[in-house]
Amino acid sequence: MGVFVFLPLVLPLTAWPIARLAEQHLHPRAATRLLTTVAVVTAVCSTVCLGLLMVVGTAQLPGNPLPDGWSDPEVREAVPYDEVAGRLAIPALLAVLLACARTLGRHSRVRRGAHRALTGLPDTEVAVLPDAVPYAYALPGGRRGRGGRVVVTTALLSSLEPAERRALFAHERAHLVARHHRFLLAVQLAARANPFLRPLRTAVSYTAERWADEDAAQAVGSRRVVARAIGKAALVSRGTPVATLAGFAAAGPVPRRVAALLDPAPAVRSWPSVFTSVGLAAWAAAVGAAVSAMSSANSAVTMFLILYAATPL
Amino acid sequence: MTDHPQRARRRGQGELEALVLSALREADGPATAGWVQEHLGGDLAYTTVITILTRLLTKGAVTRERAGRSFAWTPASDQAGLAAHKMRRVLDGESDRGAVLASFVTGLGPDDERLLRELLGRVEGEGED
Repeated sequence: MGVFVFLPLVLPLTAWPIARLAEQHLHPRAATRLLTTVAVVTAVCSTVCLGLLMVVGTAQLPGNPLPDGWSDPEVREAVPYDEVAGRLAIPALLAVLLACARTLGRHSRVRRGAHRALTGLPDTEVAVLPDAVPYAYALPGGRRGRGGRVVVTTALLSSLEPAERRALFAHERAHLVARHHRFLLAVQLAARANPFLRPLRTAVSYTAERWADEDAAQAVGSRRVVARAIGKAALVSRGTPVATLAGFAAAGPVPRRVAALLDPAPAVRSWPSVFTSVGLAAWAAAVGAAVSAMSSANSAVTMFLILYAATPL
Repeated sequence: MTDHPQRARRRGQGELEALVLSALREADGPATAGWVQEHLGGDLAYTTVITILTRLLTKGAVTRERAGRSFAWTPASDQAGLAAHKMRRVLDGESDRGAVLASFVTGLGPDDERLLRELLGRVEGEGED
C-alpha cells in the first residue's frame, strides 16, 4: 500500500477545481447536491483513514485496549512511518470529533434559541420582528419539516417595495422547502473533518443561495425583482463588512448573485455537453473527483480489510 | 402546590414570559403581580410570577411603579418587541451565525458596494420586465 494509505487525507484537494467549475457552470440545484455529496464522501473517507491510522500506529503502545494483532508487523508494513503517523493521528482524530460535536451543538443551540425567541408570537409562517437592524433568514422547523419560519425585521421590510418583499419571502421559503440547512450543515461538518474541504463549504453556501434565488425568480416571475431585492437588502444591511484584504478581494457573493440574476436563467439540464470546452473541463473535473473519492474509499477499505484479517477471532 | 415551580420550569422561560406579558397587556392600566397570577388562573406560584416580571424588567419589556406596599407593572413593549429583543440576543451571541442560518444577504466586501450599485443601476436603467 505504501504512501497510498495517506491518500484520503489529501485527495479532498482535488475537489477545488470541481467546486469552481460547478459553481460557475451548473444549475445551482445540481451544483449544491453534487458538491455536498463530494464533500461528505471525501470527509467520511478521510475520517475513516485517520481512525485506521490511529489504530495501527498505537496498537503496540502498552496499556491500550486494542487487539495486539492490529500491530502485527504485517499490518505495520502497510503503513509507512506507522509510529509517527499513528501518534499524530490520535490528536488529529480527537480534534475532528471535537470540532464536529461543537458544530452540531452550535447548530442546535442557535435553532432552539431562535425558536424560543419566537414563542408567544402568532403561529404564522412569516415572523415580522420590530427591529431597527435589517436582517432576514429562514429558520428550519422540527423533525418533519413542519414549523419552519421566515424571520424578517421591519427595518428590512420597509426598505423593500411590495414586489421585492414577495421575492424575499419566496427566497426564504425556497430555503425551507428544499431543506437547505441540511446541505449547509453537511458541508460544514465535512470542512471540520478535513480543512482541505473548506472551499467546498464556501461554494455550497453560495450555490444554496443561488438555488433559492432561482426558485424565487420563478415564484415571482421576474429575475430583476429578485436581483433588486437582494441588492437593496445588502445595501441597507452593509453595516457588517466582511473581513477580507482590501484590494485583494474578488467580487463577494452578493454582487455575484445579483449579476447572475441579470443574466438569463441557467439551463435546468444538469450537465453541459462534453463537446464544449466548458463541458469538457466540467466532465474532467467530475471524473477526477469521482476517481479521488473512489481511491479514498479504496484505501480506507483496504486498511480495514488488513486490520480485519489481523484480528484474532 | 409544591410541583408548580417545577412544572413552570419545564414549560420553558420564553413561554412563561410571553404568557405573563400577554396577561399584563389585557389589564386596564398598571397591574399587580397578584392580579397577573389570578388572571393566569392561579397556575403559577406568586414567586414565579414575580421572578418572571423581574426578568422582563431587566429586558426592558415592562416597567413598574411603586403602588402602596407592592409594585404595579405595565408592559413596555409588545410581544413582537420582546421576541425581537430575544432574537437579537441569540444572533449576537453567535460570532459565526452565517454558519447556522442561511441569511438573505451576507456582508459586503470592500469593492462590493460599488459593484452592487452599478448592477442595480443596470436594473433600473433597463426598466421592468
